[in-house]
Amino acid sequence: MLVAFAALAGSVWGQEPYPSRPITIVVPFPPGGIADLTARPLASALERALRQPVVVSNKAGAAGAVGMQSVAIAKADGYTLMVAVVSISTLPEVDALFGRAPAYRRDQFVGIARLNADPPVLVVGTEWRWRTLKELVEEARKRPGEITYASSGLYGASHVPMEMLLHAAGIRMRHLPTTGGGPATTAVLGGHAALWASPPAIALPHLKSGKLRALATWGESRVAALPDVPTLKELGYDLEYYLWAGLFAPKNLPAGVFKTLRAAARQAVGDADFRAAMARVEMPIAYQDADEFKAWWDKDALILAGVIKRIGKVAEK
Amino acid sequence: MVETLQNLALGFSIALTPGVLFYAFAGCVVGTLVGVLPGIGPLAGISLLLPATFGLDATRAIVMLAGIYYGAMYGGSTTSILMRIPGEAASVMTCIDGYAMARKGRAGAALAIAAVGSYVAGTVSVVALMVLAPPLASFALRFGPPEYFALLVLGLLVLAYMSGGSMLKALAMAALGLLGGMIGIDQMSGYFRFAYGVVELGDGIGVVPVAVGLFGLAEILATAGLATPPSVIKPKLRELLPSRREWSASAWPIGRGTVLGFLIGIIPGSAHIIASFVSYAVERRLSAHPEEFGRGAVAGVAGPESANNSATSGAFVPMLALGVPSGPIPAVMLAAMMVHGVSPGPLLIKQQPELFWGFIASMYVGNVVLLVLNLPLVGVFVNLLRVPYPVLYPSIVVFCILGVYAVNGSVVDVWIMLVMGALGYVLRKLDFETAPIVLGVILAPMIEMALRQSLAMSDGHYGILVTRPIAGALLAVGAVLVLLGLRPLVTRSLDWRAKLALAGTKEERL
Repeated sequence: MLVAFAALAGSVWGQEPYPSRPITIVVPFPPGGIADLTARPLASALERALRQPVVVSNKAGAAGAVGMQSVAIAKADGYTLMVAVVSISTLPEVDALFGRAPAYRRDQFVGIARLNADPPVLVVGTEWRWRTLKELVEEARKRPGEITYASSGLYGASHVPMEMLLHAAGIRMRHLPTTGGGPATTAVLGGHAALWASPPAIALPHLKSGKLRALATWGESRVAALPDVPTLKELGYDLEYYLWAGLFAPKNLPAGVFKTLRAAARQAVGDADFRAAMARVEMPIAYQDADEFKAWWDKDALILAGVIKRIGKVAEK
Repeated sequence: MVETLQNLALGFSIALTPGVLFYAFAGCVVGTLVGVLPGIGPLAGISLLLPATFGLDATRAIVMLAGIYYGAMYGGSTTSILMRIPGEAASVMTCIDGYAMARKGRAGAALAIAAVGSYVAGTVSVVALMVLAPPLASFALRFGPPEYFALLVLGLLVLAYMSGGSMLKALAMAALGLLGGMIGIDQMSGYFRFAYGVVELGDGIGVVPVAVGLFGLAEILATAGLATPPSVIKPKLRELLPSRREWSASAWPIGRGTVLGFLIGIIPGSAHIIASFVSYAVERRLSAHPEEFGRGAVAGVAGPESANNSATSGAFVPMLALGVPSGPIPAVMLAAMMVHGVSPGPLLIKQQPELFWGFIASMYVGNVVLLVLNLPLVGVFVNLLRVPYPVLYPSIVVFCILGVYAVNGSVVDVWIMLVMGALGYVLRKLDFETAPIVLGVILAPMIEMALRQSLAMSDGHYGILVTRPIAGALLAVGAVLVLLGLRPLVTRSLDWRAKLALAGTKEERL
């Protein structure tokens, strides 16, 4: 009721200082995923920075397309924000691949800040004998298309980095798509697939218990929790890939609102509670302000678009 | 064993501290309330309330979530029995005989048996969880896509036991359901199927809107369409509790449902959904009076409800012992652990004994709380049926719409429910049963995914489905069941279905 009244008041007088009513952060995934676990502590930190309630609203469906579409067409007034992950770059490319009208376009959003970024780690089940990436690649050369890798889903955040690696190494493997990070881990633990590109947080307990072995990571530098695991760059593959989350808004935000949100995001990322929450879910903070983020995102999205095109329509191969 | 008891004592010392006990109780109450709301089941309830637990410490958060989860399961059976509205896929079977019992004035008995069955299943399966978790978990991991496919094919055979009327009609409905289950993004190729540009259909049509529409709404429409409305059921107080005969008819189904549910529940994936279906089929197959099923057979409530509850405990086995989610609900629980900095995995039991054993003990406590909470409430709930139809039915429709909308905030889901309600009404008029449609919608995506994953693993060779021992064995069991079903054709003896037709009894519709 209050909200409705405030909204009405805003539209009548139009000159209210931003923010003067509650802000919603849309998370286009169900509760409990990486985007959700980032958005909730972020919302609390933004509340402290903006002195207005910040509410997280999960709008899941179609791998995130439903929620992202809703934000793409939302009013650009700074009261509808979104925390999205790397798939924001690839979903429109998949739509394009199949000749579908895209659910949204990347240029319908403006990035306010990149919040965290985490390179996936290549893990194999310990019943397989490969101890290094080199051994794995050599065997894949000898037996093309026979080693199976799992992923969290077709064209998904763990399929893309595997395709990048296979292409760079010039090898072929079988692909077992599953329905998420949990099922992909289960497939590798059960020996139904040999490896997958796992988020470090999911892989860590299994690496510690000796059920999985890490061969490489996709980052520019090594993962803090895995100091002995080399990066692909060290191993001679010029590849980088990150699982990241960023704060977005519909494009054409009023300049004043944009400025306020950038400042608030910077403050929120420095917030002690937010940092503690990110540390608990083992998501390393990798803050970029809007300009830096835009340049980085454009470049990253271009690479990923190329990967999606290269994967092509799987059913026609 | 001594060690286990010591650990359990540790667990109870945690679970019974006033702070933890409070959250267990609060979780049960909230869960029951959420579950009673039509259209919202345990998964939706636990997802919606997950953020509310972020401020608590890890043990309290997990204990409260477990309470919400169990509470929603109990609450869900309430709406299934009283109003024929399932809160989730697993209570679909409860709707059939539970509601039929309610129409006969045995709503109280059905609710009490569902509560006691759930209690027994919950408690026994927690014991099994505690003792068997580590060895069972590694066995469960051997269930890959081929094994899962074989299991689901067995689940499909259940269809044969779901209808009492025409087999042809039942299979037609199942085919319709399987087709409906194809809607959405093809997970193995990326194509949109039958979505006609509606992004919201990307994940397919949800089971809950379909079931609420086909069962709940269709029932309301059908009742409203009667020339003379049925008289309001006025349950008498002394009829609230199950009779001696009903208790004895429930004992074995509860026991079988508990074991069956637990075994199916430990398999990673969403296998727990089919536990209640399989239990229903088993009870009907073993029953001396299969013709009673669909008309208020008490075993048709006791078996599936128990299977359902013990499957959910079973689903915690891979989660606690291995740190892998065995379905959507454990996935939410794992996320809750991660938020609190507890890294779930094989080392959890050693590193966080307070959390693990506190959680186990709180499951015992939660089950007791729910029984104590729910048995006295049976009388209250049953009295809902005294409300005159012109008041009761519109309110139910409103709550259905609210509930279905609340889960995803999706208007498309509401439309699916309304369309299914209309479809269900037409099908009832034409004397088709709708339960096989729901089973089809549930099974189609799971079977397809498992089959195509198997083929992805074998590079297209179907041999993988029979050469792997577990998968081969399960398919062999399926083949034997089919042959047994065909036997009457050869020996010209009559099975129950044929006897039913001969006797000229017209099965009451589901």
